[in-house]
Amino acid sequence: MSGFGRVRRAALLSTVKRAAIGAARPIAEPLAAIVLALLVGAVLIVLFSGLVARHSAFDLGLPVAAYAALLEGAVSPNGMTATLVYATPLILAGLGVAIGFKAGLFNIGGRGQFLMGAVGALAVATVVGQTQSSYITIPLALLVGALCGAAAGFVPGALKATSGAHEVVTTIMLNYVLVFVTYWAISGPLALPGSPQPISVDVATRNAALPIILGRDGHLGILVALVAVPLVWFLLYRTTLGFEIRAAGANSDAARYGGMRTNRLIVLTMSLAGLLAGLGGATTILGVVHQVAPGYDTTVGFDAITVALLARSNPIGVMFSGLLLGAMRAGAQTMQIQAGVPPELVDALQAIILVLLVVNVLRRWLDGRSRQHGSTPSAAADTAMLADATA
Amino acid sequence: MTGNVRTVFGLLATAALVAACSSSGASTAPSAGSTLKIGVVTDVGKVDDKNFNQYSYEGAQKAAADLGATVQYVVPKDASDYAKDIQGFVDQKFNIIVTVGFALGTDTIKAAKANPDVWFLAVDVAPCVDEAGAPDGTFACKGDASKLLPKLIGITFQEDQAGYLAGIVSAAVSKTGKIGQIGAINNNPAVVRYLQGFQLGAKSYNPNVTVETAFFSTGDPNKAYADPVWGKTFSTQFIDQKGVDVLFQVAGGTGNGALDAACEKNILAIGVDVDQYNSYTTADKCIVTSAEKHLSSAVNQTIKAISGSTAKGGVSTFNAKNDGVGYSPFHNTSIPIPAGVQAKLDAAVAGMKDGSLKTCPDKCGTWTQP
Repeated sequence: MSGFGRVRRAALLSTVKRAAIGAARPIAEPLAAIVLALLVGAVLIVLFSGLVARHSAFDLGLPVAAYAALLEGAVSPNGMTATLVYATPLILAGLGVAIGFKAGLFNIGGRGQFLMGAVGALAVATVVGQTQSSYITIPLALLVGALCGAAAGFVPGALKATSGAHEVVTTIMLNYVLVFVTYWAISGPLALPGSPQPISVDVATRNAALPIILGRDGHLGILVALVAVPLVWFLLYRTTLGFEIRAAGANSDAARYGGMRTNRLIVLTMSLAGLLAGLGGATTILGVVHQVAPGYDTTVGFDAITVALLARSNPIGVMFSGLLLGAMRAGAQTMQIQAGVPPELVDALQAIILVLLVVNVLRRWLDGRSRQHGSTPSAAADTAMLADATA
Repeated sequence: MTGNVRTVFGLLATAALVAACSSSGASTAPSAGSTLKIGVVTDVGKVDDKNFNQYSYEGAQKAAADLGATVQYVVPKDASDYAKDIQGFVDQKFNIIVTVGFALGTDTIKAAKANPDVWFLAVDVAPCVDEAGAPDGTFACKGDASKLLPKLIGITFQEDQAGYLAGIVSAAVSKTGKIGQIGAINNNPAVVRYLQGFQLGAKSYNPNVTVETAFFSTGDPNKAYADPVWGKTFSTQFIDQKGVDVLFQVAGGTGNGALDAACEKNILAIGVDVDQYNSYTTADKCIVTSAEKHLSSAVNQTIKAISGSTAKGGVSTFNAKNDGVGYSPFHNTSIPIPAGVQAKLDAAVAGMKDGSLKTCPDKCGTWTQP
C-alpha cells in the first residue's frame, strides 16, 4: 500500500517542484551551466599549471588571471568588436538550429550549410567581382551564399519528407560530402590562377569585402545577424508558417490532423535553417577570412547547437548565447597570450556547458518517459522530446 | 562530441610539449633586462603536429631560450582567426611574429604593411607584393618586398639540396636500379627544385640508375596537392608501369596517397618537407628517409639574426650551409642501408657547404623534359 502512496507522493512533489522552478528555469539552467563550467574550467587550469606547465606549484591564481584575460579579450574596445564578429555566424547558424528544434528537427548540418554559404559567396566574388562594383557584388554574394546554404539544408529536408530518412543521419553524412565539395571548389574552380599553391581569390581584391562599420574589424555581417534575430522571432511567433512550424514540432501527428502539410514544413524548415547557416558562412568569408586555402573548415555548425540549446531555441536567447560563445572565442586568444593557457581550454568550457545542458535535457526527457508508462519512443519521438525539452 | 576528445588530446599534447620545453630551460617568463617578445601563429590543427607547426614553434622556443626572450603561441581554430591572431600579438607589443605556412601568407603581408615596426617571419612563404607593398593576387610580384616591407622575412629553402641527399639514399637502396619521383605540378619552382636535385643526387651515387619522373597534374591544383585518393591511384599505376622500387613524392596531401601506394606495392618511399616517418605514420613501414626542410633551425637562426641586428627583409634562403635542409634519420631498421652511403651523404653535405657541389641544373626550378 505504501508503495502506491510513495509513487503518488513523489509525483506530487515533482509536480510542485516543477511548478516552482518552472518560471525561473529558462534563465537559471543555462546560467547554472555556465557558472559550473567556469568552475570546472578553473580546476582544469589549476591542474594544467601544476601538471603541464610545471609552474613551481599548483597555481591557484592562474584561473583568475586566465579569466581576466578572457574577459579583457572579449570586452575591451577591440575585444567587443571581436566578440560581435565571432558571434555573427554563431547567431545566424544558431537561429537555424533553433528553428529546426522548434519544428522537431535536429539539424546537425550547420557545418556543411555554412561551408556552402562560404563557397557560394566566394564563387560570386571570383566570377562577378572582377567586373562589378561592390554595390552589386556584395548583395549578390550574400544572396548566393544564403541560397547555397539553403540548398544544403533542402536536401536532408527533402530526404526526410520523401523517405523518412532521419535528418540527424543525413545532415551528418552530408557534412562530410560538403567539406570535400568545399575542398574541391577552393583548390579547383575557385583557385587563384598563378598561385604556387592552391588558394582562393582574396575577396578584398574583388569588390566583395564587407565594409567595416564598427571599430577595427567589425564588418557589416554583424548587422545582418542582429537583424535576423527579430525577423526569425517574428516568423516563429507572429506568422502562420511559424505557428505551423511550432505545431509540427510539438506534435506532428496533431499538426497533420489539423490539416498542416508537415512534409512541406520539414523541407521549408530545413531550407530556412540552411539559409541562415549559409548566410553565416557568406558573411564570415566576405567579412573576416577574405581568402581561403583548401582544408578550410569551421566549428560553427556544432557550436551553433550549443548556442541553440543554451537559448532553449528562443531567437532572442540565441542572440545572447551567440554573443556569449563569441566572447569566449574572442577572449581565448588573449587568454593564450597573456596567461599561457592553451586554447583547448575554451573548447573544454564549451563542451562542459553543452554536456550540462544535454544532461538536463535528458533528465527531463527521462522524467517525461517515466510518466507515460512503457511507451517505446521511436527516433522521431526522441527528436520531438528533444524539441519539447528545449522549447 | 569530438571537441571533447580533441580537447583531451590537446591538453595532453600541450602537456608533453610544455614539459619538454620547461625541461630544456625555456620559460614563458621574460628574463631581466630583455624585452624581446616572440609570438608564433601556427596554422590550424595542433601545435604538436610533427609537422610545420611543431618545428616552427620549436625553433622559436630555442631562440627564446637562448636569448632570454618570451615566447608564446596561438593556434587558430580556423582561417577566420588568422588576421586576429596576428593582430593579437601586435596589440600585446610583441616584437617578432612568426607565422607558419602558405595559408597565412596574405594576412602576414598585410600585417607587415600595417605594422612597419614589428618583425614578421613568414615560414615557407616568398612574399609576393605589388608596387604598394600589398599582397599581389596576380602573382606578378612587381614590388620589391625587401624594400617595401623591410621587416618582413620570408623563410624559404633550397629544396634541390634536400632532394639531392634523398636521391643518393634512393639510388643506394634500390635493387632494380629504377627509381621514381612524382611531383605535384610542373610549374611550381619549389616542387621542381626537389625533383631536379633528387635526379642529380641519384645519378651521383650510381650513374646507371634510371630516374622516372611524373607529375600528378599539369593544371589542376586539387589533384596536384590535395587529393590523396588520386595520389594513390596515379602512383599505383606509375609503379606498375615503370617498375620502380623506390618512390619519392613532392605533393602535399596527394603525396600521402603516393606513400600509401608505395607501401601497398611493397616498394620503398621517400618523404618530403618534414620527417614523414613521424608525421605520416600510416606509411612509416616503407619510408626510408625524408628530404627535409629544417624549419626549427631556420626559425631559430632568423630570430637570432633579428636580435643581433643582422637580419634583412625579403626572402631568407636556407640550405645545407646554414643547416636549413637535410635528410631524416634512418628510423626504419628493417630497411638495410648499404655501407658507404653515410660517407657519400657526408661528402655531399660537405660539398654543399663549401659550394663545390652543384645540386641543381642551370635552369633551376624550371622543368624541362629530359
